[in-house]
Amino acid sequence: MGHSDAASPAPAPAARDARKKRGNRTAAKLKQSKLETRRGQWLNNSGQGNDGKDAKVAATPTGARSNAGSPILASPHPPLPRRRVDSRSRGSDPEDREEAGATGLEIGGSDLDSPMHSPGSDKSQGSGCGAQRKGFSGNGHGPSPSSGSSVWSSSRSVSDAEEDTGCPEDENEVLDDWEAAADALYDDDSHCHHSSVPTTPPPAPTTAPPANAAGPETIRSKARAWAPDDKFRPQSLPSISKQASFPASIGNSWAGMGMTAAQQGILSLPVSCPICYEDLDPTDSSFLPCPCGFHLCLFCHKRILEADGRCPGCRKQYNTASAVEEGGGGAKETTVGTGRQMANIAPVRLFRSCSMGPRY
Amino acid sequence: MQASRARLFKEYKEVQREKSADPDIQLICDDSNIFKWTALVKGPSETPYEGGVFQLAFSIPEQYPLLPPQVRFLTKIFHPNVHFKTGEICLDILKNAWSPAWTLQSVCRAIIALMAHPEPDSPLNCDSGNLLRSGDIKGYQSMARMYTRLAAVPKKG
Repeated sequence: MGHSDAASPAPAPAARDARKKRGNRTAAKLKQSKLETRRGQWLNNSGQGNDGKDAKVAATPTGARSNAGSPILASPHPPLPRRRVDSRSRGSDPEDREEAGATGLEIGGSDLDSPMHSPGSDKSQGSGCGAQRKGFSGNGHGPSPSSGSSVWSSSRSVSDAEEDTGCPEDENEVLDDWEAAADALYDDDSHCHHSSVPTTPPPAPTTAPPANAAGPETIRSKARAWAPDDKFRPQSLPSISKQASFPASIGNSWAGMGMTAAQQGILSLPVSCPICYEDLDPTDSSFLPCPCGFHLCLFCHKRILEADGRCPGCRKQYNTASAVEEGGGGAKETTVGTGRQMANIAPVRLFRSCSMGPRY
Repeated sequence: MQASRARLFKEYKEVQREKSADPDIQLICDDSNIFKWTALVKGPSETPYEGGVFQLAFSIPEQYPLLPPQVRFLTKIFHPNVHFKTGEICLDILKNAWSPAWTLQSVCRAIIALMAHPEPDSPLNCDSGNLLRSGDIKGYQSMARMYTRLAAVPKKG
C-alpha cells in the first residue's frame, strides 16, 4: 500500500510541487537518509518488513496512549507513520536524487511559502492531513493565537522541507512521520516520563539544521523527541510558551513558568543558617555573599567578617564589595519584623525565581 | 557566647534526633557543660584500628563555630598524626582549614578519615611517621594494631 500511495501522487503534482521539490532537494536527501536509517531501526525493532508494519500499527497507538497527555494528538498518528516511511524510502527516493543536482538556493523561498500554502492544501484535500492539523491546533482547546503560531514556527522548518518534497498527500504524511517516529522510538525507549506535548516540537530541530550531518546524528543518538527540560534541546525552540498553553502540560507548570528542574532545586534552599542553625529569613536567603553560593545569615556573615573573613563554604576570602553590601544588609535585617518576614516569603521567592529565569 | 551556645544546643538536638544515622560515631554532651563533649568513634575497617573504639574529648571555644573545637584522643592510639602522649590531633580542619560550616559530627567523620589515611609527612608521632615514610607498612600496621588491642578494644568480661 505504501508504495502505490507514494508513487502515484508523486508525479501528479502541479508546477508548484515541482518547484518545491527543487527547493527541497537537499533537505529531502538528508531526510531520506535519516528515514532509511530510522526505518531500519523500526524494522529491527518491530520484526521484519511488512509484518513489522502490522506490529507498528499495534505499537504506535499504545505509544500514543502512553503519552496520556493529549489523546487528540495521539489518535491521528498511528496510521500515518508506516506509509510515510515506505513512500519515502522507495517512492520518492529517485526523485530526490534527480533533483539533488539542482539549485539549493530555493530552499529559503520554499520555506517561506510552504507554511502559508500548507493549511490551504490541507483543507482542500481533507484527508488525514486535515485531521492531523486539527490535532495540532485543537490541542490547545480553543488555542490562543500565540500558541498556534508558536506551533507553526517551531515546526515550520520541518514541515516546509518535507511538505515541499512531494505531492500534497506526501505533505501530510511527512508531518506525521516525525511525530510518529518520535512516538515509536519513545515507545521503544519506554521513557514515558513525558507527556505527548514534547513530541510536537521535536520535528523542528531535527530538520532545522539543513544539510548538516550533525542533525541526523544527534537525533538518532537521542532516539526520541526532545524533552522540554532536555539539556541537548536547542534553546531557540519556542515550545515553552506553547506547552504552557496546552492543557496536557499542566504537570509541566514549572516548565511553563520558565523554571527548570535546576531552578526548582534552588528554590528548595536551606531553611536554616548552616552556621548558627537559625532559620533564614527572606533577606538572608536572598543574600549570597560569595560566588560559591554558600548561604548563611547576615549575623553570621558579619561575625565571620569580623573574624577571619573567609567564606565557610569555599574558605576563600569574602571580597570587600560583599563586605560593604553585608553592612547595609545587616542594618536592614535588624529593622525587619518577623511577621513581615513571613508575609514576604512568597513574593521574595517568586522574585528570585524570576530573576533566575533569564539568566538560565 | 550566646551564639555558640545556641548552635551547640542545635547540634545536640540534631545528634539526639539522628542517633542512628552514623553508627560509627557516638557524640555525648557533658551533663553540666555544653562546651565539653566526648565522642566514641569506631576504628575504620581494613585499618589497624579496626575493632577499636576510640574516645575523643571535645573542648569547644566560646567563639565556636568561628573557631574550631579542640579535639584530642583520650584513648591511646599509634598514629602518625596523633601525639602519643597527649592525644593531640594534627588535622588541618581543626586548625587553619576550619570552616564554621563544620559540625562536631563532621569533625568526628574527618577524624575517622584521618585514621584510615594517615599523613606521615606532618607527624606528631615521629615513630609512626618514620615507619610509614620508610615504607615499613607492616611495622606501622602491627604497632598500630597492637596499641589498638591494648587500649581501644573493649575488654571482655
